[in-house]
Amino acid sequence: MTITGASEKVALQALKASDWHLEGAFDFFYRQPQISATNSQHLEDLYNRYKEPDADMVMVDGVSQLCIDLQVDPQDIVMLVISWHMKAATMCEFTRQEFIGGLQSIGVDSIEKLNEKLPSLRAEIKDDHKFCEIYNFAFSWAREKGQKSLALETALGMWRLLFAERHWPLIDHWCQFLQIRHNKAISRDTWAQLLEFVKTLDPQGLSSYDEEGAWPYLIDEFVEYLTVNGYVQRRK
Amino acid sequence: MSSQKKRATKVDPFKHRTEVDPKFFDKSWKKLDDAIREIYNHNASGLSFEELYRTAYNLVLHKHGLKLYDKLMEKLKGHLEEMCRSVEDAQGCLFLEELQIRWDDHNKALHMIRDILMYMDRTFITTFKKTPVFDLGLELWRDIVVRSPKIHGRLLDTLLELINRERMGDVINRGLMRRSTNMLMDLGPSVYRDDFEKPFIEVSESFYSVESQQFIECCDCGEYLEKVQRRLAEELERVSQYMDAKTADKITSVVETEMLLIHMQRLILMENSGLVNMLVDDKHEDLTRMYNLFKRVPDGHSTIRSVMTSHVKETGKALVTDPERLKDPVDFIQRLLNEKDKYDEIISVSFSNDKTFQNALNSSFEYFINLNNRSPEFISLYVDDKLRKGVKGANEEDVETVLDKVMILFRYLQEKDVFEKYYKQHLAKRLLSGKITSDEAERSMLVKLKTECGYQFTSKLEGMFTDLKTSQDTMQSFYANISGDTDGPTISVQILTTGSWPTQPCAPCNLPPEITDISEKFRAYYLGTHNGRRLTWQTNMGNADIKATFGGRRHELNVSTYQMCVLMLFNSADGMTYGDIEQATAIPRAELKRCLQSLACVKGKNVLRKEPMSKDISEGDTFYYNDKFTSKLVKVKIGTVVAQKETEPEKMETRRRVEEDRKPQIEAAIVRIMKSRRVLDHNSIITEVTKQLQSRFLPNPVVIKKRIESLIEREFLERDKVDRKMYRYLA
Repeated sequence: MTITGASEKVALQALKASDWHLEGAFDFFYRQPQISATNSQHLEDLYNRYKEPDADMVMVDGVSQLCIDLQVDPQDIVMLVISWHMKAATMCEFTRQEFIGGLQSIGVDSIEKLNEKLPSLRAEIKDDHKFCEIYNFAFSWAREKGQKSLALETALGMWRLLFAERHWPLIDHWCQFLQIRHNKAISRDTWAQLLEFVKTLDPQGLSSYDEEGAWPYLIDEFVEYLTVNGYVQRRK
Repeated sequence: MSSQKKRATKVDPFKHRTEVDPKFFDKSWKKLDDAIREIYNHNASGLSFEELYRTAYNLVLHKHGLKLYDKLMEKLKGHLEEMCRSVEDAQGCLFLEELQIRWDDHNKALHMIRDILMYMDRTFITTFKKTPVFDLGLELWRDIVVRSPKIHGRLLDTLLELINRERMGDVINRGLMRRSTNMLMDLGPSVYRDDFEKPFIEVSESFYSVESQQFIECCDCGEYLEKVQRRLAEELERVSQYMDAKTADKITSVVETEMLLIHMQRLILMENSGLVNMLVDDKHEDLTRMYNLFKRVPDGHSTIRSVMTSHVKETGKALVTDPERLKDPVDFIQRLLNEKDKYDEIISVSFSNDKTFQNALNSSFEYFINLNNRSPEFISLYVDDKLRKGVKGANEEDVETVLDKVMILFRYLQEKDVFEKYYKQHLAKRLLSGKITSDEAERSMLVKLKTECGYQFTSKLEGMFTDLKTSQDTMQSFYANISGDTDGPTISVQILTTGSWPTQPCAPCNLPPEITDISEKFRAYYLGTHNGRRLTWQTNMGNADIKATFGGRRHELNVSTYQMCVLMLFNSADGMTYGDIEQATAIPRAELKRCLQSLACVKGKNVLRKEPMSKDISEGDTFYYNDKFTSKLVKVKIGTVVAQKETEPEKMETRRRVEEDRKPQIEAAIVRIMKSRRVLDHNSIITEVTKQLQSRFLPNPVVIKKRIESLIEREFLERDKVDRKMYRYLA
């Protein structure tokens, strides 16, 4: 209950369904569609509180206010998770649809309830499958409107944020490498393939790295950069 | 009591009751025995064949065959043992002779004995499955004489000794040798083989092993091979003279193995005389010999081929990477052509046009010619040189031959698209300078390129020719149409279609008024007949002929357009500063400096005088009309529009453009492939793309990868969701 923020009833349900195994219970819980015990009027009010005075959107000011109310740092990764639930199109902007729909799918209709949910939202990062979705979502979300690729600085920031939660030892080398060698925007393919790269290769030796493996050339160059500078030993 | 009733008279058949004589066998045998003895004593003439035959016949008839047979055997044995002793007693070189004589005797005797005992051969022997008489005689000879302990070894040793002497140069009695070996052959193929051939082969092996070791220590490769050839011929002759024909292959194989195979590496790689030296010095005879000899030996040719290939690659590599050689592109290519000619000749003369060698040569050339990435440029410069100057003392055919040879080099190029770029540039310069030595040769070259690379390669080049032709026609009709004074300068315009010609953007400059006049007239005329088109003067590519007087002498100067602009200024002023000139002509700085340099600083062409007299142009200089200019020629050429080896920055620029051009070609190939295959993995794409483009250039897999990523970005392709190495075509 502490971790998932679920009610006692739901917790018991989950535990029963998984035969009283704790991990199974978590699985069960997360797979349940959130019971939308939400009040649409509350949601409207909430939206109105944060929306811009002269536009039907929640924008930077509203988002800052939301963070203050939740007592979270705007850089906190939980904001990303929330945005993901909202299927937000762009960073720091929520349409009415996105805002309300997102909160509904999380299953809250007030700041207090949202606050309670924060730990469970944070925990979603730990789930492999969800992390993958959130990671890929982050690309389109963090992009400038109308751009196809993600600006380098933003990308670096996002990566640092994401991989702080899911430890990747080479993250610093990666960021350094990009700043020295690439200095251009990041394409979607590179973004997506990086996750594959992190998942499938052991960072210690990169021994299983296959140059013929159809990795984006940027990643090929990265591996070369690591080898040449002696950060990893490549065993052939 | 004899009175039996008489019936019909019976006549009993007449029976010979000769059986009564118990000595019948012995008597008969004695006759035969004596006869045989006489035969062996060369006294056969006194015998009656008929009687002896009959005696034998009767014996067999009376069932004495077996006894007869045994007695015969005994008798023969006796005689043979006698013969054996006489052979054994023979001294020294008479041994072989004696053996042969006895053998002849025995043979003759056997013939007669067989004839006498023919009936026995036909009846008794077949019934009782005994060895026929003649064969028996041979067997006994073999066992008693030839294989007698004292004779057997001695016979073999004698034969081998004689062969050895012959090998060392002596003359021996070949007739005797032949009779001896024939004897062995008559005694049965296994006798010849075991009693002579096998030991002969073994002894020959040691002999040649020793001899080859001696030779190789003291001879060089060519000499050694000559000796081998000689030995091979000798051995074959020897076999034909006094051995069974089947021995030929065996002895040949011995010589080949001992003399060639074992020493193959050492011979081919011999310092100062091995294959490499033969190639370098064009020793055709030696090479032919080596080729023919090593054909007989496993891996002989492949060894020669691989040594030749490394040598060609090495010398080629040295040639193309030598900085000295790179200074003169025409010479560079000429050397490559010479090298190719040299090896073509070697292969045709000495290696009987062996295709595998030709292929090895091709791959070596392909290897090193591409080591230098300026090869495409240089080949184009070579062709340019030949087309401009013509081939020295050549007729049409020779020019064709030279161009064909150049095409062979062209085929080796991996980066044919680089060649295309340079060829275009050089061709443009040739065409525009108005100095086409042979239109035929130019056309011929185009046809060759088209045959080699397809229509697309040459379509633009052909366009250039067409433009010039059209321009000529246009000029004619222009002058036909023009009215007004024809006092001013005559103009000849070449109208170039953008896209066919390698033009660079050209900032306009200020033309002298006389020129502006007529050029505007032309522009008006042209646009009148071709509206919708746009004309831009390429002042960086034209030339002009100016009449000038220097110190009383009249000259005609052939100069570039820029140079003309500068010179015409001096009609109104004797001296001008750099600044003045720059302002008046509006020629871009770098170009102007080059232009002034060619007018003022080059000995023999200094129609302008510069102050100060330094070599470089600086912006503080002043220029004067140089009335002291002299030249032996009336017509002086000062233009600078000849194709040259590019400078470094130009080279970088061209290469950059080539790389840029390649990107869309690679992308087009990828899209074509993916469109037809729909789904394909990464490595297969690389292979297919390379294959499709190989007639133009060798694409870099990294570049291909980047293009794929670009296509993913632009949503032509996507990665497969499950297998990240597969790509899918997005319609």
